[in-house]
Amino acid sequence: MAQPITTPVLAPGTRYRWDKVRSQHQLVFPEGMIVLNEPGRAIVQLCDGRTTDELIAALKEQFPGAEPDDDVHEFLGHLAQRGLVREGAPRD
Amino acid sequence: MTDNPLPRPLALLAEVTYRCPLQCPYCSNPLELNKYRDELDTETWTRVFNEAADLGVVQLHLSGGEPLVRRDILDLVRAAAGAGLYSNMSTGATVVDGKRLEELREAGLDHFQVSVLDTLPESNDRLAGTPSFDKKREAVLGAKRLGFPVTLNVVLHRQNLDRIGEVMALAQEWRVDRLELAHTQYTGWAFKNRAALMPTREQLDRAHAEVERVRAAGTDGLDIQHVLPDYYFERYPKACLQGWGMVSMSVAPDGYVLPCQTAREIPGLEFPNVRDHSLEEIWERAPIFQRFRGTDWMPEPCRSCDRREIDFGGCRCQAFLMTGDVTATDPICELSPHHHLVAEALKEAQQGDPPLVYRVMPRDAGAA
Ligand SMILES: C[S@@+](CC[C@H](N)C(=O)[O-])C[C@H]1O[C@@H](n2cnc3c(N)ncnc32)[C@H](O)[C@@H]1O
Ligand code: SF4
Ligand code: SF4
Repeated sequence: MAQPITTPVLAPGTRYRWDKVRSQHQLVFPEGMIVLNEPGRAIVQLCDGRTTDELIAALKEQFPGAEPDDDVHEFLGHLAQRGLVREGAPRD
Repeated sequence: MTDNPLPRPLALLAEVTYRCPLQCPYCSNPLELNKYRDELDTETWTRVFNEAADLGVVQLHLSGGEPLVRRDILDLVRAAAGAGLYSNMSTGATVVDGKRLEELREAGLDHFQVSVLDTLPESNDRLAGTPSFDKKREAVLGAKRLGFPVTLNVVLHRQNLDRIGEVMALAQEWRVDRLELAHTQYTGWAFKNRAALMPTREQLDRAHAEVERVRAAGTDGLDIQHVLPDYYFERYPKACLQGWGMVSMSVAPDGYVLPCQTAREIPGLEFPNVRDHSLEEIWERAPIFQRFRGTDWMPEPCRSCDRREIDFGGCRCQAFLMTGDVTATDPICELSPHHHLVAEALKEAQQGDPPLVYRVMPRDAGAA
């Protein structure tokens, strides 16, 4: 099993995109895209070099009352498995 | 299916030129390259990219020919970024230096796909008809240094398939993000060279085992894409284009719009041009897009087959090239009355090596 990601960053060539025609949040990568829901969009946009813990804290501010910890880990794990998110922390 | 609302296209292939410094015998470009010299200008491509975005296109593939020979290539990349499209460039990467790579990055190019013909420089250069291996290597390493996401694309055939292990090693050595192991599709020049390119079953079995071995050993972040060729491995055809006129469209250098980049070679079909119509009009109403959309056009055995909305009767270009009838069931299908043609094509692989016919484009007729 892969290690949980401590500092999630989007893989090179993967980026968030707002699709104005379909009114959709998308995560686009070289061979395709996935459609994001609102929390998915928020998580993806927070993959900017901060740690997973900081990401979860920021998410709680955006969605007061939510307990997103497990969902965030699961979602990031899923994105990592598809090669869309990587570990951004320097390896030692 | 035909009652559903028309989906919006997700991908646009922009073949911005057919000019190219290389002569790959497997090239999927059309044979009569001189017919496509009247290239769209910067302004028209910009309009096309904006119309594509409005129509719902997400991904733009800048390809050709060699897109980097266009003098306005940076403007085209900027136009794609300005339209909000995700841009990929498919390139032979022989006419690019560090400065140009940086400019492409700044212009907003999202992804770089570089083709290499073989892992041995001599063999790469022989197949390309031009010394090019060292330049490709430099371009890939330079692009990675700039932080570009890079996919390495290697077209596989009888003459390089036995080095598939070395291909994967090369991709790891160059630290690319993805490796596309693309078995030759027999259209354009590749169809002309089929007898020289068709691999044997034994080669394919060994190649498949080698890919599995490398995958199992771990690829350290390298994503390897490998789809076995339908000639040998499939009972049914692949869902060509994910359905004609359903997901993607293609614009040729001279502005003609096609459901697929090779459809131009099918005689008797008429194609609309972006010089005369908007992309939206073409997508929604052009007869060529309606022609094989959905299932109404199908003959038997497809018409009454359970798989008709899974594979859409296969590839129209392959059906035409092999049978002469563009409406025929793709001969890859074991239910096709022409299925015996596949076995006949495979026999070509056993009959020694005919000389390669290199992709040529007469130079005299003045380039843009
Ligand atoms: C037609 S090329 C144009 C871009 C550029 N000249 C190049 O070769 O990279 C587009 C992509 O298709 C691949 N390709 C060319 N002919 C092919 C064929 N017959 N079957 C499968 N892939 C092919 C190339 O390797 C390249 O990745
Ligand atoms: S496949 Fe080869 S010949 Fe064809 S366009 Fe690409 S580099 Fe040129
Ligand atoms: S008969 Fe037609 S629809 Fe059925 S599997 Fe063959 S190609 Fe596909």
